[in-house]
Amino acid sequence: MVMTTFFLGIGVGLCILVFFVLYRVVFGPGIFNRVAAISAIGTKTLVILLIIGYLYDRIDMFVDISMVYALLNFIGTLAVAKYLEMEGERK
Amino acid sequence: MIHVSDDIIIRTLARILVPFIQLYALYVIMHGHYSPGGGFQGGVILGASMVLLLITHGYGETKVRFSERGAVIFSSIGLLIYSGIGTLCLVFFGNFLDYGKLSTLLQVVPAHARSLGILGVELGVGFAVMAVMFSIFFDISTSGELPVDE
Amino acid sequence: MEVTLLVEAMDNSFRLMENAKTQAIELLNSAVRLTSETRAVEKKKFETIFTGAREARARVQNMIATFGILFVFWLVLSAKFDLFHLSLGVICSGVVTFMSHDLLFANVRVGDIRLMLWRFVTYIPWLLYQILLANFHVASLVLSPRMPIYPQVVCFKTKLESDMSWVTLANSITLTPGTITMDIREREFFVHALSKKVADDLSTGEMEDRVAHMYMEADHIYIQDVLDVAPIFGELRRTL
Repeated sequence: MVMTTFFLGIGVGLCILVFFVLYRVVFGPGIFNRVAAISAIGTKTLVILLIIGYLYDRIDMFVDISMVYALLNFIGTLAVAKYLEMEGERK
Repeated sequence: MIHVSDDIIIRTLARILVPFIQLYALYVIMHGHYSPGGGFQGGVILGASMVLLLITHGYGETKVRFSERGAVIFSSIGLLIYSGIGTLCLVFFGNFLDYGKLSTLLQVVPAHARSLGILGVELGVGFAVMAVMFSIFFDISTSGELPVDE
Repeated sequence: MEVTLLVEAMDNSFRLMENAKTQAIELLNSAVRLTSETRAVEKKKFETIFTGAREARARVQNMIATFGILFVFWLVLSAKFDLFHLSLGVICSGVVTFMSHDLLFANVRVGDIRLMLWRFVTYIPWLLYQILLANFHVASLVLSPRMPIYPQVVCFKTKLESDMSWVTLANSITLTPGTITMDIREREFFVHALSKKVADDLSTGEMEDRVAHMYMEADHIYIQDVLDVAPIFGELRRTL
């Protein structure tokens, strides 16, 4: 019971932190701030998924989902960075 | 976008991660009925691993494993597996994709035959999705012409 | 006192090994000269035999090692140990090994694999402790009202040799809060540090020493290596 409330508190705290980073995604001047902020949101989403898995008592299922999300976050950030490098060279 | 990256950190990390990503994608396809996953999700992850190899090591490294012609062949093979299993069920006097009728071919109980039939269909879907994802990324990023390696 | 004796003993042993190596090379040269064919053809024949055999053996070793690692990874992922899933694991590991077997072990590495694994296992707790300390420092920097940060770029030339050790050092620097590795160009690291204390911690070079010790590179007497060869110290002392 204590562990459940503890993890629930941590999950809610992380969601509030995600809203702080969301400010940079919306108002960040330029594309680089937005890309870095989305990568940071991806990291927090990973931990929130694991906490939800613990709360629903099906941690093994949510570990699979969070691994897929970590992978796609990594490859997505890499692809956006490559595209911006190519755009910079062409200009 | 498809040329050898000049950053050695990204090159080394990508070449270490790609076998593990591919094995994880095959795990997701095979365990479709126990945990979230299945054919489409595993195919997307397989395609993502090939895209990672493309953008970090260029087309030369990827051509050895999975060329553009291989993408065409793989999508056809995936479709062949899917409709092949369905037609096999038709041959054994059942409906299309009625896996229970495969139990006489595989010598197992009908419930187990349904499980194996779904596994085969998921495998076909995974191959087709991987080939299509790779092909979409390749065509959009090079706009038709093959990249020349510097 | 002990350290100078140890260093003297190491010098003597290196000199003895150099003499032995030159003598062996002279013997090999004279043996080649004594045959009827010319020396150049002999050397070329030896080289082609050995590189061909070494490459084939290395490829088979790479495939077996990759298959083993991937199968262990499959077992960790799916915790089912009945025959159907195990055979599925063998087939999937085999397919992935066939497609990407030259990716994991691209560089030939000399050294004992078990010793390197054990040193890797003991490197991780030290790294976690450093991350903890740096966390506290960066949090105190950020939360203070006037925020005393002095961002600077630190460049240093590295003594490590292979790309795996470069990547390990770069990732360890980036994992520690306060420092980010920006680029590695021709063995020179460009690291962005947040404040003077973090930059000073970086330029002492302790992390680089530990990574070099773990990968057994950079011919530089690390004190742990001296303690490792201490058993032969008595032997050398008697022959001096």
